[in-house]
Amino acid sequence: MKLFLILFLTIVVQGQALFTDAQKAELLQHYRALVQIDTTAGNETKAVEYLKKVIEAEGIATKTFSVDPARANLVARLKGNGSKRPLLLMAHTDVVRVQREKWPVDPFGAVMKDGYIWGRGSVDDKPILASELMVFLTLKRSGAMLDRDVIFFAESGEEGESEFGAEFMAREHFDEIEAEYCLTEGGSGTLTMGKVATISIQTTEKSPKGVRLIVNGTSGHASVPRVDNALVRLSSAVSKVGAWETPMRLNDTTRSYLEKLATISTPERAARYNGLLDPRKSAALQRYFAVNEPGIYSMLRTSISPTILKAGVVTNVIPSEAEATLDIRALPDENIAQFYEEMKRVIGDPAVKVEPTTFGARPLAPPSGLDNEMYKTLEAVSKRLYPGVTVLPSMSTGATDMAFLRAKGVQSYGIGPANNDEDRTNYGAHSDVERMAEGSLYRFADFTWNVVVQMAGRK
Amino acid sequence: MLLKHTLVSLLPILALASVAFSQTPVVNLDKVDWSKQNAETLRHYRALVQIDTSSPPGNETKAVEYLKKVLEAEGIPTQVFAKDPARANLVARLKGNGSKRPVLIMAHTDVVGVQREKWPVDPFGAVMKDGYVWGRGTADDKDILAANLMTMLVLKRSGMKLDRDVIFVAESGEEADPLGVGINYLVEQHFDAINAEFALTEGGSGTINKNNKVTAIAIETTEKTPRRVRLVVNGTAGHGSVPRLDNALTHLSIAVGKVGTWETPMRLNDTTRTYFEKLSTISSPENAAHYKDLLDPKRSAAAQRYLAANEPEHYSMLRTSVVPTILKAGFRMNVIPSEAEATLDIRALPDEDIPKFFEEMTRVIGDAAVKIEPTGNTRPISPPSKLDSEMYRALENVSKRMYPGVTVLPTMLTGSTDMSQLRAKGVQSYGIGPATTPEDGMIYGAHSDVERLPETSLYKFTEFTFNAVAEVSVHK
Repeated sequence: MKLFLILFLTIVVQGQALFTDAQKAELLQHYRALVQIDTTAGNETKAVEYLKKVIEAEGIATKTFSVDPARANLVARLKGNGSKRPLLLMAHTDVVRVQREKWPVDPFGAVMKDGYIWGRGSVDDKPILASELMVFLTLKRSGAMLDRDVIFFAESGEEGESEFGAEFMAREHFDEIEAEYCLTEGGSGTLTMGKVATISIQTTEKSPKGVRLIVNGTSGHASVPRVDNALVRLSSAVSKVGAWETPMRLNDTTRSYLEKLATISTPERAARYNGLLDPRKSAALQRYFAVNEPGIYSMLRTSISPTILKAGVVTNVIPSEAEATLDIRALPDENIAQFYEEMKRVIGDPAVKVEPTTFGARPLAPPSGLDNEMYKTLEAVSKRLYPGVTVLPSMSTGATDMAFLRAKGVQSYGIGPANNDEDRTNYGAHSDVERMAEGSLYRFADFTWNVVVQMAGRK
Repeated sequence: MLLKHTLVSLLPILALASVAFSQTPVVNLDKVDWSKQNAETLRHYRALVQIDTSSPPGNETKAVEYLKKVLEAEGIPTQVFAKDPARANLVARLKGNGSKRPVLIMAHTDVVGVQREKWPVDPFGAVMKDGYVWGRGTADDKDILAANLMTMLVLKRSGMKLDRDVIFVAESGEEADPLGVGINYLVEQHFDAINAEFALTEGGSGTINKNNKVTAIAIETTEKTPRRVRLVVNGTAGHGSVPRLDNALTHLSIAVGKVGTWETPMRLNDTTRTYFEKLSTISSPENAAHYKDLLDPKRSAAAQRYLAANEPEHYSMLRTSVVPTILKAGFRMNVIPSEAEATLDIRALPDEDIPKFFEEMTRVIGDAAVKIEPTGNTRPISPPSKLDSEMYRALENVSKRMYPGVTVLPTMLTGSTDMSQLRAKGVQSYGIGPATTPEDGMIYGAHSDVERLPETSLYKFTEFTFNAVAEVSVHK
């Protein structure tokens, strides 16, 4: 206990604190234990039981909430003095499935090799889960006075089934997780020559707003062409929306992201990022990104990607119906009803019905701020721990469970371990060689610890 | 047949003078008293309908055994050719003096499958009710099979001398023949046994008006050829949240949108030109104007647009048609797949230069990312059969003799039949069929769950077939 009080003073005095070797060993032990619990969708309660035992052994009460007893969510709280509103530490316990035969190691072995821990969940999302757990335990042991409650929330169903996890909790038990700020997955960092070069913090995200296009026409024998052939009308519609250049629109996050990205890019690349706002250059640059950096292109606008076409069964019969699915990712400020109206105008054929789908549905939510205490703390800790680092606010084109929290007014920030290019590109989340560098895990735990202490520790 | 011609629905109904048959025939057929043949015709017809030859699996050999017994009892020798023992073909021949080349009368023994629960009667009962015979095969193709059989039997019994052999063919596998057990097997392996100058088989029809008069006889003289292709596009796969310029679905959709609205060139042949000319003579003035306008350069485009919207079957007779029928791409909403695919059912005019057509289609699509892959040909391209041959004239003469005032229309089928294999071998082939009311043709026709044929249509058609065969083969 004494040790931790000293640690706290150290933070205040020197501006940073790192976990000791003993703490790293404990973190690794929890992390490996969690990876070894197979939580492929439907078994999150097994991880919750582990967490419950560990947290309660520390004298912290826990609560569980579930739609399905096998898929529980766990919440625990360290009380503060209430002078500030709570801080939520969220991570998901579920992992995506594995194809065992494709794995070079046991995907639930948490095998340690050459400085890496291998396994499903070793990147997504058990490093965040274990780090937040360790921060939570350490905070309790330190006995430090807190200006705000710190809430630990292990959620189920993040990988496509939020109705068991974040969506359920935000709807039914929001008082248990209500907070001013949330930290969870969604960000990342880059390592160059062993040094952290950039930290990217997710402050907003696009929202899945997919639709199905459906056309009905006269069915009949294919030897007789029909002017109302459903496939032809559908194809014309898909070709129009597929080529439709929706308006470019930047927000605070993407504007700041591109500006900062320019500062750490080669002169040619920087010129392209900076040129987007120049009306004379913008169109050509957008085309460049569409071809060469589609991830950047998607940040500029609400995007439409046709992903499924379905019509007909046999060659010689014109079917009565043809259907296309469009994956639409809306900018956070999109007026979606108006967008669909505009899309119908682009299609220009009343025979084409536009039906919104609920796949991956998440609420549209305003971006989290870039000038509040939390964002400033994330920036400050990054710079303190990694001198010379560039901090990039980012908008993810995919969706996360932060959407449910942001829609409820929680300022939410996505963070994540820093890794080198090869690990990020080839050994990442959902892959059959998912792995985490041991050093990246410790570095991320240190980062989270410093942020939480600065946000919640009594000044 | 694979597609029952819907001509009957397009023909205007005309009131005509009463039917007068047995007008002076070219050959002496007085000894045939048709009223005495009908009972036997009906017996064979019902027996054949009662033999379940649904394909798949077919089991056509069961029908072949019946036919073999009947023909051989009459002293007509038969030959059985089977690639698959359960799916035999039967050939029988009445010898002529050889001064003319043979005439072939062909019908298929297989029928399409049934959904029993949808039938109001036993589909293999050959139930007789209100003057109709009901059952699978009653309109496709056991009516023609029975008429051809009776033609053989009556010709043989008449003892008439023949100028040419008359060959009876009962073929298997017409409805779907991926294994080549029927016409393809006969043409490839036993063509000597069926080689002929002329062939008569299914593919035509006739129209009975509400006063029970036959007003039109349609004779199929040519048909379009199915040429299916797949359009295949490959692109970068990835997450649906990141749009890709090379999205395979977008490229495919642009291509399908283009070929689906591509107006291929209009081109008439002897058959379709004659068809539209004759059709105008029996149509309302407004309809006649549309048909005539087709050949007027100033009015043709508007007439074609009218037909495309209102008479798509006629529109299809004007050109090689391109009809998208299948689209397939993707499996999950948030994943852009690496491949997208469309199937186009192309029906080519008989004179189409197919490689050139595909080149033109490639130009219309104008996107190197779209690959055009032919999916295998089911039928050969074959030239139209002539409108001035002895057989066609005989069909016209017999029609006019049996149904005074009737209009005889040569037709090009937009679907396809086994005649294409015969025509490709040089056999002048003509599609014929019983006359029915438009209602029977449209609602109670081939492949329906209420397939039926009026008894009287069967009898008249048997007589028609016999007369046409006799006219081209009986020694004068």
